[in-house]
Amino acid sequence: MTGSISLSDRIAKWLPRLVLAPSLLMVLVAVYLFICWTGWISLSSSTIVPKYDFVGLSQYVRLWSTPRWHTAVFNLVIFSVLFLGITTALGLLMAILLDQKIRSEGALRAIFLYPMALSFIVTGTAWKWILNPALGVQKVVHDLGWTSFVFDWIARPSFAIYCVVIAAVWQSTGFAMALFLAGLRGIDNSVIKAAQIEGASLPLIYRQIVIPMLRPAFLSVIVLLSYIAIKSFDLILALTNTGPGSATEMPSTFMYSATFRRDQMGVGAASAMMMLMTVAAIIVPYLYSELRETGDGH
Amino acid sequence: MNKFKLILMATATALPLVGQAVAETKIEGLHVWTSASEVKALKVITDKLATMGFEWQDSAVGGANGANAQQALRTRVAAGNPPAVMQFLGFEGLGWAKEGALRSLNDLYTKNGWKADLPPVMLQFLEQDANFFSTPINMHRQNWVWANKAIFDKAGISIPASWDELIASGEKLKAIGVTPIAMSDESWQIEELFESILIDVNGPDFYKKAAIDLDETALSSPEMIKTFETLGKLRGMHDAGFTGRDWSAATNMVANGQAAMQVMGDWAKGEFLAKGMKPGVDFLCFPTPTATPNYKFVFDTFGGFTINNTDIVKGQDAVAEAIMDPDVQKNFNLIKGSIPARLDVSMDAFDDCAKRSFSDRVEAIKNNAIYGSLTDGFAVEPRFSGVFQDVVGKFFVTDMSAEDAVQALVDGINNAR
Amino acid sequence: MATKALSHQRQQLLGRAIIYGGLLFMAAFYLMPLWVMITTSVKHLDEIYAGSFIGLPKQITFEAWQTAWSEACNGTACRGLKPYFINSLLMTIPAVLLSTGIGAINGYVITKWRFPGSNVIFGLLLFGCFLPFQAVILPMAQTLGMLGLAGTIPGLVLVHTVYGIAFTTLFFRNYFISIPDELVKAAQIDGAGFVRIFVSIILPTALPIIVVSCIWQFTQIWNDFLFGASFTAGENAPITVALNNIVNVSMGRKQYNVDMAAAMIAALPTLIVYVVAGRYFVRGLTAGAVKG
Repeated sequence: MTGSISLSDRIAKWLPRLVLAPSLLMVLVAVYLFICWTGWISLSSSTIVPKYDFVGLSQYVRLWSTPRWHTAVFNLVIFSVLFLGITTALGLLMAILLDQKIRSEGALRAIFLYPMALSFIVTGTAWKWILNPALGVQKVVHDLGWTSFVFDWIARPSFAIYCVVIAAVWQSTGFAMALFLAGLRGIDNSVIKAAQIEGASLPLIYRQIVIPMLRPAFLSVIVLLSYIAIKSFDLILALTNTGPGSATEMPSTFMYSATFRRDQMGVGAASAMMMLMTVAAIIVPYLYSELRETGDGH
Repeated sequence: MNKFKLILMATATALPLVGQAVAETKIEGLHVWTSASEVKALKVITDKLATMGFEWQDSAVGGANGANAQQALRTRVAAGNPPAVMQFLGFEGLGWAKEGALRSLNDLYTKNGWKADLPPVMLQFLEQDANFFSTPINMHRQNWVWANKAIFDKAGISIPASWDELIASGEKLKAIGVTPIAMSDESWQIEELFESILIDVNGPDFYKKAAIDLDETALSSPEMIKTFETLGKLRGMHDAGFTGRDWSAATNMVANGQAAMQVMGDWAKGEFLAKGMKPGVDFLCFPTPTATPNYKFVFDTFGGFTINNTDIVKGQDAVAEAIMDPDVQKNFNLIKGSIPARLDVSMDAFDDCAKRSFSDRVEAIKNNAIYGSLTDGFAVEPRFSGVFQDVVGKFFVTDMSAEDAVQALVDGINNAR
Repeated sequence: MATKALSHQRQQLLGRAIIYGGLLFMAAFYLMPLWVMITTSVKHLDEIYAGSFIGLPKQITFEAWQTAWSEACNGTACRGLKPYFINSLLMTIPAVLLSTGIGAINGYVITKWRFPGSNVIFGLLLFGCFLPFQAVILPMAQTLGMLGLAGTIPGLVLVHTVYGIAFTTLFFRNYFISIPDELVKAAQIDGAGFVRIFVSIILPTALPIIVVSCIWQFTQIWNDFLFGASFTAGENAPITVALNNIVNVSMGRKQYNVDMAAAMIAALPTLIVYVVAGRYFVRGLTAGAVKG
């Protein structure tokens, strides 16, 4: 026989949902409703202001017939792979080095972390000068005597994207390092000691034991760096302004210029939907596996 | 009345409650002028407004060649909070007027007879569906060449009469260690060169067909290929450090003698004057070389969004009157480097380059050789001028062939139609 | 015997040398842009135009800093960065506190008061992390207009809070998940309710992750340009918007030294937060923020 449910039980049942409700509501509107809005606009003929008509997939056709969009997608792939790969590897290396009981670890850590504190506009401007062949590194090296040194990537359409990678890696490696350092500190020393007693060399220990144990940290690093990669908008505008030509165009800058500069809001919305669908295709499976796993008891 | 207009009106009436336009005598304006000299010129207008009893509330949004201001404008309109007064260039105003968002100034135009005071070619940018919606303060000329006189004398070159001559003089300049053309790899700066070549080499009629009417035959014609080829010859005439260079830094190169010439609108003139250089003595100003004299214009206008508030309406009228005041036009342009929009302002106080611009304008109007600048948004809508900019920019910094460029241009324009 | 010990020692030294060398080389790479910014901000303008941007200043002057703080022009308003600095503080601090607080409560609920669908809700919240913000500017502008918050600082606070919840919830959820459920159950048996458990059991242990969340949010919100430029104008603008107006001047000689000084002023709060609280950042992460 089910007795009457006490008041406190009823509260216990509904309170959590009530508490989560405001956040859920805000996110439903600010994220999902807006995504639906963008989706509708991508199927409309909007140019300068939103028009809520229906023109099928013509904006998408227009989008994919634009060579600049192809450049943007291509750049995103190159940038993401390089940025994620190099930042992760470099961050791991720095964390491992810093974990070796270094003196002045605090100062070094601050030096590696501070770039994260700077806004992309600041980073982009500073790097723009450093990479400029007539003002920055190339000029300094020339002045030092090595006159045949060439470092003009930022002026070459096929190399400019690598400059964006350099600046972005510089900005975010400290953060990856911090995440890995935290992970390293969480590893039980006894495991390492045991392996050392067995005679294993330090590099081998790192490769076979430590790095596999950092899997959770890897996942978090990849997720948070992906977020930064998608947000690379400010950095590109400050560093190259999608130049030279459109060599460093990215989907985020493409969407922005289509909507706010070229009066092609429908095309801009279509590009935004493409970005969202790509992100969803990658993130949703990850989230699913992540949450399913911990839901089964941890 | 379409839905958009409804939302705009409904929320705009609530404006005083939101606390935006509070005091009776304030009028707010959104514009892109953030540098010292531009702000100084703007002060001429705002001082006049003060004498009329209105205080200017400034909302400047600079950067990205006006794109930030466009973004700010769009978001404010979406939020139902449009600026009372907005600076428009080229087709920007027309787009909003077509949506019915801008207030008609027909009463003022009729009362003051402004239509007769302005060059006819300007009017198409000031009115939509028989409604005037904005007033112009100035007219910039786009197709100028600014040159360092001392360098020209040293290299023994005179003012070129054609683009081929200009390109040939590049060799003499390189021989004395001077960069022939100061420029940047920014697409719009390359486009300034492109559109000058386009009209100078092929004539004003072709320019109209290609850049304004977007006639497909013109766009894919041999003349277009020739234009790109000529542009391609300029590839060797800039310095290696031109990447990401600001246009005013390029102007400074000419002023300092590091470079010989810059092809730029007359907003560059201020840089020379600020250094105390005199036209004809220290620096030269001449139109880009051509057999068919032409005039390409850019101008700033201000229009008002429809807002249901009598004080704002009065303020918008005051701004229009202030802008069209002949003295304001004279003093504003003395600082800005352009010439007055009005045809009846005396040019006595202006420098020789401005005087030439003024008289050339009269000539060009007579000869039907005056057209809007493609780069600065006075030839076609942004989605088409964007295509030109993409193709031209890419062409110049890669080794794309002229034929490929023309094909890309045609495809791009058709895609945007 | 002696040689073996010596070569082992040499190997040790070599290893240390490589480690220190590598770290110092990377440190130089990381400091270079900061060096450029600082030296440029204390040079005379003529010196900058005369030479390269990387060299040492011949003469040090703090004029540029003075200009940037109190005289630089944002349109016709020439009051320097000071008023916008204050705007940014007024925007950032409430948004950080709100989003952190909401994230903490959300994390608590999702881990300790699970119900059918709570994981789905978490997933829905989490997806917000990956939203490209350019896509939501226009609909958000319409929404703010409807709420009467267009062009105001509270409007910005709302926007940043809403989009910050995804991250703060993630941080707190990953942290609280490692607190044993038995603790909560025991407290419930003792008669403690929802709020009591949160305040007396969960919160006291949460200091490291609170620090992580605040630092991350402070950085993201303070450095944001897109929302600031879209949803405010003129007097209400945050410092990033004013910085953009000061730096992106299209006419006249660019005052690079003032630009860099202004950029440094804009970056100071976040720099201080990172340098001072950096060790708590790592400590907080160590304590479990990032457990997968």
